[in-house]
Amino acid sequence: MTTETPGRAGRRALHRPGDGAPGHDEPGGGPKKKHRRGVTERNRPLWLLTPGGVLMTVVILIPLALGIYMSLIDLDQYTLRKWLSTPFIGVANFVEALTSTDLLRSIWISVSFAVISTIVTVPLGVAAAVVTQNAYRGRAVVRAIFLIPYVLPSFVVATVWRTMLQPDGIVNNLLGKVGMGGGLWLNGPQSYWTLILVEIWAAWPFIYLLALAGLQSVDHEVHEAAALDGALWWRKLRYVIFPYLKGPVSLAFLLGTLNHINNFTLPFVLFGAPAPSDVNVLPMLVYVTSFQSFRFGLSAAMAVVSLILISIPLFIYLRAVRLDVHEEGAKK
Amino acid sequence: MELTRKKFLAGVGGTGVLALALAACGGAKTSSTSSGGKVDGAGKTLVVLMSVKSQYPQEQQTWFKQMGEKFKQQTGAGIQWETFPSANDEMTRIQTSVVSGQGPDVYGLGTTFTPTAYSTSAFVKLGDAEWNMLGGKDKFVPAALGISGPDDSNQIGIPFVSRPFVMAYNTELLKKAGIDKPATTWDDLGAQARKLTSGDQYGLAIAYKDNFDPWKFIWGMSIQAGNKLIDGKSAKIADPTVKTAYETYFGWLTKDHVVDPASIGWSNSQALAAFADGKAAYFPMTSPLSIPTLEKSAVKGKYKYALMPMVPPGATTRPEGGVEAASILSGDNLVIADYSKQKDLAFAFVKMITDTAVQADYYKTFGELPANAEAAKALQSDPVLAPALEAASKSVATPFSGAWGDVQLALVNIAVQSIPDLASGGVSDADLSKRLQDAQAKSQTSLDRAK
Repeated sequence: MTTETPGRAGRRALHRPGDGAPGHDEPGGGPKKKHRRGVTERNRPLWLLTPGGVLMTVVILIPLALGIYMSLIDLDQYTLRKWLSTPFIGVANFVEALTSTDLLRSIWISVSFAVISTIVTVPLGVAAAVVTQNAYRGRAVVRAIFLIPYVLPSFVVATVWRTMLQPDGIVNNLLGKVGMGGGLWLNGPQSYWTLILVEIWAAWPFIYLLALAGLQSVDHEVHEAAALDGALWWRKLRYVIFPYLKGPVSLAFLLGTLNHINNFTLPFVLFGAPAPSDVNVLPMLVYVTSFQSFRFGLSAAMAVVSLILISIPLFIYLRAVRLDVHEEGAKK
Repeated sequence: MELTRKKFLAGVGGTGVLALALAACGGAKTSSTSSGGKVDGAGKTLVVLMSVKSQYPQEQQTWFKQMGEKFKQQTGAGIQWETFPSANDEMTRIQTSVVSGQGPDVYGLGTTFTPTAYSTSAFVKLGDAEWNMLGGKDKFVPAALGISGPDDSNQIGIPFVSRPFVMAYNTELLKKAGIDKPATTWDDLGAQARKLTSGDQYGLAIAYKDNFDPWKFIWGMSIQAGNKLIDGKSAKIADPTVKTAYETYFGWLTKDHVVDPASIGWSNSQALAAFADGKAAYFPMTSPLSIPTLEKSAVKGKYKYALMPMVPPGATTRPEGGVEAASILSGDNLVIADYSKQKDLAFAFVKMITDTAVQADYYKTFGELPANAEAAKALQSDPVLAPALEAASKSVATPFSGAWGDVQLALVNIAVQSIPDLASGGVSDADLSKRLQDAQAKSQTSLDRAK
C-alpha cells in the first residue's frame, strides 16, 4: 500500500506554496539533489506493476536466462536427461555456431528477406488503408476481403502456395500457356523470391490494419481544413495525412520485420526440412540444429547470437523513430 | 512505505522465484500422486503416446477404446491415450518428458528413431526378466528385433508393427512391354524402366523431394555394396559406393529419363498418386500401407509388390561383403519410460498389444504388418502380402548410433541441394563430390560426439 506517513504529508503541505523552485525546498535534500521528482512521478503505486512484472519474469526473463545458460553448456541428446549436470563449455558453442555452421548466412537471408518483405508490404498496406478509408458502396466487403490473407493460418497459406508452385503445378502451367517457363519455385535461387512473395501475400494486411487505425485517428477538422485550403489529393495525403500515419506505420514496420524474421511455419511448410540452402532462414537452421541434430546447446547459442545481432539495428531504429512514447511524455 | 525501483525489482524477482518453486512443487506432487507401486492396477491410469493414424482416425479411436476396455479387464487400470501428429511433435514430447522426468509411460516410436531414444538413456533396458514379462523374445519376428538396441544385451525397443519397403509394379504395363518378372538388380530396373517409358508414361515413380525416401535408396544401394555408412566411429559417406548410389538415383531422371521431370517436387504420396494413376510402371519405396490407396485407384487388380533389387548398381551379383538388404528395418517400436512409476502396468500393456490376436486384428484394421511371429506367419498365404513379409524378414537395421539422425539428415540434404541441378539437366561430378564431402564432415562430427 502506498500510504504516506503523516510527517511526509505534512511536510509537503508546508512546502506546497514554494513549489516553483524545484530541488531546493526539500529538507535534507538540499543542493545535493539534482532532480526533484514531479507530481506524476511522486509516490507512484509501483506495486501495481507486480502482476505484469511476475508475468514478464516467468514468460520472458526466466526462459531467456535458461536460453543463455543452455548456450553455455554441452546440451545434446546424450546429456539432455541430466541437463543440470551437463558440462559447462563456456563460449565453445558460440565459436562453433559462428565458424562452422551456416549461422551468419542464415541471419543474412532472414534479415534481407524480412526487410524486403516489409519494404514491399508497407506501401501496399498503406494504399489499401487509404482506399478503404472513405465510405462507399461495398467498402465493408472490400475490407473483409483484404483481411483474408491475415486470418488464414500460415500453415494453410504455405500448403496452398506449395501446391500451386510445384514443378507441374498450376502456376507453371499457366506461365507455360503464355509462353513463359516458370522454372523451379521451391528450390534453387528462385526459392528466395518465392519466400518473399508468399510472405508479402500473407503479411500485408497487418500493415493495412495498423495504417487503417492510424487513418481513423485523423480528426475530421483536419480534412475540412485541408479542403478549405484547396489542397489537392496528393498534397493532402503527403502533408496532412501521412504525418498522422508516421507512428502506426513505424510500429507496423518494426513489428512486421520482426514477424518475418521469426516466421517458421511458412518456410517449413513451403520448403520442408532440411531447407534448400537459398531459404535456410534462421528459424529453420535453429530448428534443424535442435530437433534433427539434437544440438540444443549449439542452437541456443545460435539463438543468442541472432538475438544480439538483430537487437542492434532494432535499438537504433527504436531510437530513430521514437516509438518509446515515455521519453516524449517525460518532456514537459 | 516508499517502493523504490530496487525494492520493486527485488520483489518481482522474488515472486518469480517463488512462482517457479511453486511450479516445481506442483510438478513433483503430480508425479507422486500418479505413482502407487502396487501390481494391481485398480484406480491407476497408464499414459500411452502413439502416432496418430490420420488415414484411419475413426478406427484408431475404436481401437483405443477396445484396448482400454481389455486392459481394464486384465489389470483394473485405465489408459490415457495421447497421440502425436508428426515425428517433430513426438520429439518435442520426448524431450519434455526426458527433461522433466514425467510424461507418458509407454511410447510408440518409429524404428529409425530408436537409436536417438536409446542415446537419451531415458527408457527401460530389457533383460531376460523383462522379455519374459512380454511373453519372451521368440514371440517376435526375429528380424524385427534388429533395431531394438545396439546389441542383444542392450535393448529398449519392443517391436510393435512392421512396415517393410517393397516396390509396387504395374503388371499390365510390364506385360505389355514383354517383361515377365520384375527386376532384381538396380541396373536391370533402370533398363526395364527405359523400356517402360513412352509419352507421359514413365518407368519409375520416384519422390525426389521427400524428406525420407532419398536416404533409404542411398543406404540400400550402399549397404548392398558392402558400405554400412557408419563403421564403428567413422562415417563412410564420401565413399565410391555412396557416390554411385547417388549417380544411379539421380541418373534415372537426368540420364535415363525414366521418371517424370515433375518428380523433383514430389513427396512419397505424390509418387504413389502417379503410380496409382497408371502413369508409372514401378514405384519403389512403398509399403503395404499403400494398399488402401491402390485398391481404390486406376491400377486396382493390376499391381503387385516385389522385393526391391538387392544387387548394387553397376553389378550383376552382390559383391563380397555386400548385405542382402531388401529394406530398412521399418515399423514401430514400443519403449517404456525409465521414469515411469508403473512399469509393471506398462509391461502388461505392451504384452497385451503384441499378443497374436491383437496383432492380427491390428493388421486387419490398419494394414500394418504384425511384429508378432505367429500373426505374421498367418498372413503368408496372402499373395499380395507375401513379398512384403519376405522384405520384412530381409530387412536390415540402419546403424544403431545416436549419430544416425545426422547421417540421415546429411543424405537427404544432398538430394535437397541437388534439386536445382536436377531441374537443369544434371548434377556435376564436382558438385556431387563437394556435397558428399560436406555430408561426410557433418556425419563425422556427429559421430565424434556420440557416446
